[in-house]
Amino acid sequence: MAGGLALLPSCLRQEGKSTIQLKNISISLKQENILAEIVETLIPKTDTPGAKELKIHLFVLKMLDDCYEEKEQEQFVKGLDQFNEQAHSRFSKSFEQLTVSQQRELLSAQNLIADSSADLAVFYKIMKERAIDGYLNSQYVMTNLIIWELVPGRYNGYFPVKSA
Amino acid sequence: MANINLDAAKANSYDVIVIGSGISGGWAAKEFTEKGMKTLVLERGRDVQHIKDYPTTNKYPYEFEHRNELTLAIKKENPIVSKCYAFREDAMHFMVKDKEHPYVQEKPFDWIRGYQVGGKSLLWARQTQRWSDFDFEGPARDDFAVDWPIRYKDIAPWYSYVEKFAGIAGNKDGLSELPDGEFLPGFPLNAVEDYFKGVIKSKYANRHVISARCAHLSKPNQIHLDQGRAKCQNRTLCQRGCPFGGYFSSNASTLPWAAKTGNLTLRPFSVVQSVIYDDAKGKVTGVRVMDANTKSVTEYYAKVVFINAGALNSNLILLNSTSKRFPNGLGNDNSLLGKYVAFHNYSARISAEYDGLAQFATDGRNPAGGGYIPRFRNIFKQETNFKRGYAAGFGASRYMDRDRSGTGETLKDSLLNAKLGPWIVSSHMMGETIPKESNFVSLSNNKKDEWGVPLLNISVEYDENDVLMKADYIEQLTEMFTEAGFKKITPNINSQSPGLDIHEMGGVRMGSDPKTSLLNKWNQLHTCPNVFVTDGACMTSTSTQNPSLTYMALTARAVDYAFKMINQGKIA
Repeated sequence: MAGGLALLPSCLRQEGKSTIQLKNISISLKQENILAEIVETLIPKTDTPGAKELKIHLFVLKMLDDCYEEKEQEQFVKGLDQFNEQAHSRFSKSFEQLTVSQQRELLSAQNLIADSSADLAVFYKIMKERAIDGYLNSQYVMTNLIIWELVPGRYNGYFPVKSA
Repeated sequence: MANINLDAAKANSYDVIVIGSGISGGWAAKEFTEKGMKTLVLERGRDVQHIKDYPTTNKYPYEFEHRNELTLAIKKENPIVSKCYAFREDAMHFMVKDKEHPYVQEKPFDWIRGYQVGGKSLLWARQTQRWSDFDFEGPARDDFAVDWPIRYKDIAPWYSYVEKFAGIAGNKDGLSELPDGEFLPGFPLNAVEDYFKGVIKSKYANRHVISARCAHLSKPNQIHLDQGRAKCQNRTLCQRGCPFGGYFSSNASTLPWAAKTGNLTLRPFSVVQSVIYDDAKGKVTGVRVMDANTKSVTEYYAKVVFINAGALNSNLILLNSTSKRFPNGLGNDNSLLGKYVAFHNYSARISAEYDGLAQFATDGRNPAGGGYIPRFRNIFKQETNFKRGYAAGFGASRYMDRDRSGTGETLKDSLLNAKLGPWIVSSHMMGETIPKESNFVSLSNNKKDEWGVPLLNISVEYDENDVLMKADYIEQLTEMFTEAGFKKITPNINSQSPGLDIHEMGGVRMGSDPKTSLLNKWNQLHTCPNVFVTDGACMTSTSTQNPSLTYMALTARAVDYAFKMINQGKIA
């Protein structure tokens, strides 16, 4: 389940392919695992689950596959690889093999870079936006942390809250 | 052979045929079947049964494959309907896809349709306001279109009649320009909506902010429980179909009610190609239907035909119903059929922030959507450089301010422990447009759909009056927001095409004179007394109210009249 969303495993899964069926983009299992570590670094496990456990990386891939233009999809995949190249050049390891603090360091540095049309920036923007959306809209968050009600059965237009 | 044909004709004969099962067709079905008339309701789309056929109604956001977002492929395949706010993963199965039913945009027009049992009554925004004489007298006073053949007193009892059954939540506001109705308790305004109401009341003599009146069961009466409906549960997921029947739709209300009488025959997948005018008999005898799936053509016969196919489709059917007597379309002796189409001008919004009343927020959801500002321009006399005016929605809400800027535990903490942001207020205009001969629909002379019906050409556009009105809305709302101390006031003028308002009306207008109108004061074709049109096509002008309640009332009134005429032998 990606954030509570049923995703069919690829029927034609080959060694090294992504674990979900994607129509338009091609993602290797290694790229998928790197993305899992990136979203986990973005939204880590604390006393509640992090993005990797909630399979938010698969949600990001699902949205990328179905909701973006081909050009953005290509930029995302290139940008993902470029991001991992930074791990290699800085620490001589792939991102998923880094220590947590090394991962945080790389992600924080990328987070400070202003948006641009560069592949890396496109990747980061889509990844972050979709990971946050997917996290907030995940079954876990919606049923445990920020409760979404299917049947509120009430409306109070003067609900008292603490003033900021 | 002759006998076989006679038997077939008998088997296909009813007292009444109703074309369309949407909000007005559902009412025609209920009224006729209750009066004991054998009624055939023809719906071009599939059947949608209450609750059973609402596949998304109980889904949580995370159960939608794309969290309710449209995929790029769907957007690209559907550039028209994708513009509609309700066309999302949760309700797109109730809306016509662009390629399924093409039409010709002689001018840009986003035609939003729902082809299934219940039509757009499943999807409507459920806002229900009565017209007043300021609306019915508009064309005569301001010299456009033709005079309405009815006044408020003619329709008032029928508003009451349909309101009691449908269930309308609202308050008795005592406004002459927006008559009170038979209300269930209104949904309350929230702290900031109330505050704005107070400010407007103190600063302006004839401007009002009221609780939006809507077709929701805030407190059901026995008549609603008898329909199998229950109290609105504030889900605000209405476009999916409501398992509680909390809002009014044909599916939850009129159609099951009609079915219970035993007098209803509902035939989905029935595309009406034309109404049959028998030149020998000198009258309409029935309709010609192509089965949407098998493509076989069948004729159905009745004493009376009600056309409730949706405003523009009712025009289409009449235009396509030609005979020796009516070579240009049924009832179209004056060549006005299809002309004087109008709509509502929704092309401006305005939003702002309010720092006050921070001790309050909202809890739960308001199905009414908040407040409503009835038209305040040019009501009692002409006072602006444009004709007529606009109503406006007004709502206030607070959102969680989730700071997305960081990463890691900081980000997670700011997402989960967000603070309430300031109140955000917003309004949208609903402007009256002036019906004109140059805004019209017609039949394509070379393109047909797969059911043998010519495609509809739509040639409708805004005019200078709409532009001036829009500017005034922005100016006035900016002033009203400023008076209320709202900050960061942001007008948003959009360039949406006509049609996206989903309030297209006219083309088969009512009037007293057969030379200048198609329908008389009973929604009856001047020249074919057993044919009635009671959906949006009948509208002589549009005023600013959401139109559905008026269609319901006109329909019930027309059925009452038609039934009397049948009993008196004047329609046979």
